[in-house]
Amino acid sequence: MPLRVRRKLHVLLFVLIATLATAGAAVAANGGFTPENAHSPNAARINSAYYLILGLTAFIFVVVETALIVFVWKYRSRGRGRDVEGAQVHGHTRLELVWTATPVLILVVIASFVFYKLPGISNVPKASAADRINVTVEGHQYYWLYRYPNGAVSINDLHVPVGKVAYLTIVSGDVDHSYWIPQLGGKTDAIPGRTNHTWFQPDSVGVYQGQCAEFCGLFHEAMLAKVVAESDADYQTYITQTAPATLGKQEWGGACATCHGMKGEGGYGPALDHDPILSNESSLASIVRGGISNGLRQMPAVGNTWTDAQVHVLAAYVAKHVYTGASLGG
Amino acid sequence: MAARSETIPVAWKNGRFASWLVTVDHKRIGLLYIGTSLVNFMGGGILALMLRSQLATPNEHVLTKNSYDEVMTMHGTVMIFLVVVPIMAGFANFLVPLMIGARDMAFPRLNAFSYWAFLLGSGVLWMSWFASGGPAKAGWTAYTPLSEAAFEPGHGQDYWILSLHILTIASLAGAINFIVTIHNMRTRGMTWMRLPLFVWAIETYAILLVAVLPALSAGLTLLLLDRQAGTHFFLPSAGGNAILYQHVFWFFGHPEVYIMVLPAMGMISEILPVFSRKPIFGYKAIAFSTIGIAFFSMLVWAHHMFAVGMPIGLDAFFMISSMIIAVPTGIKIFNWLATTWRGNLIFDTPMLFALGFIGLFTMGGLSGIFLAVFPVDWQVTDTYYVVAHFHYVLFGGTMFGIFGGLYYWWPKMFGRLLDERLGKLHFWLLFVGFNMTFLPQHMLGLLGMPRRIWTYHHGGLWEWYNLVSSIGSGITGIAILVFVWNVWQAHVLRRGIRAGNDPWLADTLEWYATSPPPPHNFDSVPYVMSHRPLRDLRRRLAEELP
Repeated sequence: MPLRVRRKLHVLLFVLIATLATAGAAVAANGGFTPENAHSPNAARINSAYYLILGLTAFIFVVVETALIVFVWKYRSRGRGRDVEGAQVHGHTRLELVWTATPVLILVVIASFVFYKLPGISNVPKASAADRINVTVEGHQYYWLYRYPNGAVSINDLHVPVGKVAYLTIVSGDVDHSYWIPQLGGKTDAIPGRTNHTWFQPDSVGVYQGQCAEFCGLFHEAMLAKVVAESDADYQTYITQTAPATLGKQEWGGACATCHGMKGEGGYGPALDHDPILSNESSLASIVRGGISNGLRQMPAVGNTWTDAQVHVLAAYVAKHVYTGASLGG
Repeated sequence: MAARSETIPVAWKNGRFASWLVTVDHKRIGLLYIGTSLVNFMGGGILALMLRSQLATPNEHVLTKNSYDEVMTMHGTVMIFLVVVPIMAGFANFLVPLMIGARDMAFPRLNAFSYWAFLLGSGVLWMSWFASGGPAKAGWTAYTPLSEAAFEPGHGQDYWILSLHILTIASLAGAINFIVTIHNMRTRGMTWMRLPLFVWAIETYAILLVAVLPALSAGLTLLLLDRQAGTHFFLPSAGGNAILYQHVFWFFGHPEVYIMVLPAMGMISEILPVFSRKPIFGYKAIAFSTIGIAFFSMLVWAHHMFAVGMPIGLDAFFMISSMIIAVPTGIKIFNWLATTWRGNLIFDTPMLFALGFIGLFTMGGLSGIFLAVFPVDWQVTDTYYVVAHFHYVLFGGTMFGIFGGLYYWWPKMFGRLLDERLGKLHFWLLFVGFNMTFLPQHMLGLLGMPRRIWTYHHGGLWEWYNLVSSIGSGITGIAILVFVWNVWQAHVLRRGIRAGNDPWLADTLEWYATSPPPPHNFDSVPYVMSHRPLRDLRRRLAEELP
């Protein structure tokens, strides 16, 4: 190999290594170059597929962009006139085959790796009944509602025992939503008329944030979800005592306060602190279950799946904390 | 004075404005298309700047949440249906007959109808801002049940459907016209393997439109019936199926991406060889990969729906079919690169945009592989990662191709060249602004920012990336103003240098006509011996003249 060519190859190699090192540092610092750190085995396997694709596509990217820059530099006109022709090359069959077959091989590698990892991502791990909890997740405009195995209900915040498999059944009460906690795995849409499933198994105690990922209307951005992974004892305390005791407040905060304010002072929706509907459980039930549909004045049927007990705790909460008596001025 | 009766029948039709109203000349119709699309592009761009202003910092209040949803929906709909698809029809109208050596399109009146229907549809969409309840606000995809009357009671959604129906009719009529023209009106010697690659791209664009637009029309008709006639095709509460809409929409929607990208690729395939002073590398490979992309584009639609809970077998099918599309796309990229190899590269503005297209589209293509792999897609779908991906394809790709095409064919369309220094400023500002706007959006998506949220409450990296993105969008806006100024100074101030027939020493037949071409295009057309008839002609002349 002539010296000049070798030196050029060295330069190319150096550029390649420098690029990969920079990319590596960026990945390590996780400034948004990779998915969030995984805290569940399915999320970890998705991330490993991501890293493989990132490596291979980064390689292709460097090859294409380097070739582009090198050609642009090397074959620039340098003052040659427009009438000076370049090499009249019309094609090269073997080259065409190379750049057809190489991407095919790369894609086969990616697809094989994905199929190898797939069972660990989509299949629910086998776990005894004691090591698994089944939770139903309902998407509503604009909050998440969870129903636990013992019948307890919570809003927006899902409590799960750490290390156990949480098997989620995801449904919707109105329009499409998408349940997504990035650190615990991918999205699963909540679609009316359909029942979807997903699972995760949080590996450490902590709070994992997420939010609705399918555009669901005006307050789409406010539809935040949180998974609280805690010890088994804390989880048991939560579903037997804390959740039932705070349900009324959670319902008001998650389903009503988004529009009407935490104290019923009004916001996007009208003020309710003096509205007599709040003092009458049956009219409260009908409006919460049926919503309002009066031309352009709309209120979603936020509680169209609520049980009587759920409505009852809401009525109790608003009577105590929101309703301040009928307005005197009328 | 003797009566000159022959002037009477043409009186009012020759008026400065009236002549544009009654024209059936493919070149004038093409310019009407391009002009209208560029005005819509300014409108859609202003909407984009409003969105970026709102998202520049957390808890911002430039727009209300209600108007954010409207602006977001209109931005997407305008850019796709009122800008990219019609501007391609405009280029195709102007160029196809010239490139194949024909005097006009096969059906000139139908052609005029297409344009006026497009203008009507475009007017209906913009006017929907005045509908009761404001314009549509369910996103440009209008997923059911959110777009149903129960959740979108205003009339904006109905006008949105009406507008898309009208635009669909316009596009269908135009597409049929292109197909008939290309099949029947090629000049002597112009065989399929001598067809300019841009014409190949338009042939494919037109066939795709005819194949998939009826699916959109059907889906929108069902949605309209649901909203207005009490049916419940997409209403699960009454036995309908919400997912059905997504299938129908994306059966149209994914080929639509290639409808918008393939003609831009065709432009790149015209520009690169001329400014490399070389033939295109692998003519057949590029032509057949265009057809391959078009075919597979109709088999990949459900990769937009990996999160809806399809059976794993279907997910796997759509992953593999989506990956297959990467292969013909890669073939094009490598052939374009090879076209510049050992060339005499002249960096006029069209060439800069063409090279920019290769660099940026590669990025958009590669990020698409992440989205094709469904487990990874479950993480990145419906986030800003997707927003970044499709802007790299449709802005970094298609819009760069369109700007390249505008600078390249401007002298043919108007007889004057745009200024090169302003053109280069336009390119570099756009290149920097574009990357600043959309590169950080990949990171935002991976950090968990969903698309279509009107505000966010996170500081830290979310705030930084959003701010950089918004500043980039401002630079992009300035770049577009430079383009407007370039057009202004060339024509209103008449500073544009007059172009001869063939200022770039190009290869294809449109450069044989005068700039701008006469109404009948050509007095005579040379017999076509290769896919570079003008170069053949130049060489023959050089041989004959000692």
